[in-house]
Amino acid sequence: MDFHAALGLGLPLGVGIAAIGSGIGLGMIGNGAMQAIGRQPEATAKIQTAMIIIGAFAEALTIYAFVTVFLLSGKI
Amino acid sequence: MGLEFLARVRRSSLIAGLVIALAIAAVAPWKLAAGFTAGLLWSLVNLALLQFIVLTMTGAERGTPAALTRLGLAFAGSLVLFGAGAFLLFQLPAMALAAGFTLPFLVLTLKGASMALLESALWRRLTASRWQSALVLLVLVGGIWFGVDHFRTAPRAIAQGTESTQPEKPAGAHESAAAPEAKKPEGPKEFSNLIGIIAEGAIHKAEETHTEVPAWAKFLEHFEVIIYSLFVALLISVVSISVANNWTMIPGPLQALLETWVEHAYNFFTGILGPKYGPQLVPFLGTLFVYIYVMNIFGLIPFMHSPTSNLNVTVAMALTVFVYVQFMAFKELGFLGWLDHMAGSPRDLVGWALVPLMMPVHLIGEIAKPISLSCRLFGNIFGEDMLLVGFATLGVSALSALHLPFGLPLHVPFMFLAGIITAPVQALVFTMLSTIYFLLMLPHDDHGHGEHAEEAHHHAH
Repeated sequence: MDFHAALGLGLPLGVGIAAIGSGIGLGMIGNGAMQAIGRQPEATAKIQTAMIIIGAFAEALTIYAFVTVFLLSGKI
Repeated sequence: MGLEFLARVRRSSLIAGLVIALAIAAVAPWKLAAGFTAGLLWSLVNLALLQFIVLTMTGAERGTPAALTRLGLAFAGSLVLFGAGAFLLFQLPAMALAAGFTLPFLVLTLKGASMALLESALWRRLTASRWQSALVLLVLVGGIWFGVDHFRTAPRAIAQGTESTQPEKPAGAHESAAAPEAKKPEGPKEFSNLIGIIAEGAIHKAEETHTEVPAWAKFLEHFEVIIYSLFVALLISVVSISVANNWTMIPGPLQALLETWVEHAYNFFTGILGPKYGPQLVPFLGTLFVYIYVMNIFGLIPFMHSPTSNLNVTVAMALTVFVYVQFMAFKELGFLGWLDHMAGSPRDLVGWALVPLMMPVHLIGEIAKPISLSCRLFGNIFGEDMLLVGFATLGVSALSALHLPFGLPLHVPFMFLAGIITAPVQALVFTMLSTIYFLLMLPHDDHGHGEHAEEAHHHAH
């Protein structure tokens, strides 16, 4: 396979795969947070803050893949 | 003015000398830096000994046997010092030693001159008005800037004039014209911004006329993000200062906003860091949040650019946080406490056995923190900007068949996404993680709770 073709095929696929993982992670975080809020509504503010931070961690992995794509997209 | 002044001179010259030595070690052979440090230390010890001798000879208990003994010891010490100096002079480069030796005297002179200046009538007149002193500072900086530029470029211009490189010049210009074309495909396109347009216009014009690119255009091209981030900092400072100067009992809209933010930030960070370190770190962390948030949404203004969508800015901020965290850890724990923390606080046999494993893990963890902080912020904001560019391009190309002067505003919903979700959340995440890094490195209150628990245990018995 040509170098350019490999990049053109691999870069979008890479973001897609990373997004699958991030999506599963974000879903689990949201699931846990919603259950926690449902059980203890008075702790909503604390739970939301923690949820946003952990969500940012999960989301960052896709962003890394995204950045890689942009850094390499000039070489296609 | 007196002994305390000399102590301050010693302290500042030690700090300045160590920084200079580090800088020398980074760009020159280590022997130069070692010579500089040795000369500085020698000079400082020499000054301290001299001060001691003068104090003993003029002090209240001069002439007593104890004072005489001390005097003799000091003279012997200076003899040893001179011997060490002669040894160093043969081992290390003499020029570096001399430079280090001169530094304390330089600091002394500068400090004395600045003290004399501070008390003079001229200085009082200059600083009477805030605007006047700002103007003077601006003129000084501008003068130094152009002066240095002139001195740096003057020899080169003379050399070019004497060699008369007339036939080579078009070739060089052609090369410089070809280089950006080769560079251009690298990296995606961004929204054009004001400074970028001005700089690119000047560079393009210089390429067309085969002249050298002017220095200010290169400067603008290189320091675009820094200019924007400084502008954001200036904006925040001006708003905050203007509000703080007109403090009223019944707050106006801006003052109400700032008061709400400051109170929220105080409660938030103090809640995480505890009452001891919280109030101390609130100014830094709260400012960090506001600064990052404004920089994030700055790119949504037409012809402006988010400084945080450049890795340089985010790395600088993450390094600032890293240095501050380590500084606080050193200050609060001490060096041994820091080492103990790095070794995983070994208290029993298993803990000590695990030290060789824990040490590198902790070290790598510390170094990974600024990398992940900066990459996360950069990636999010950069990705958001790229998304906006992509959809704006899509909107323009969707209507390109009709030859209209505008396109579909497909990127507008994503602008709301960026302004409402990504920008504040990323600013919050950066600030929050910095807070947690502080919390992890600072001494915890566990011991207090443990003692209380033990006391309660004893009482129960």
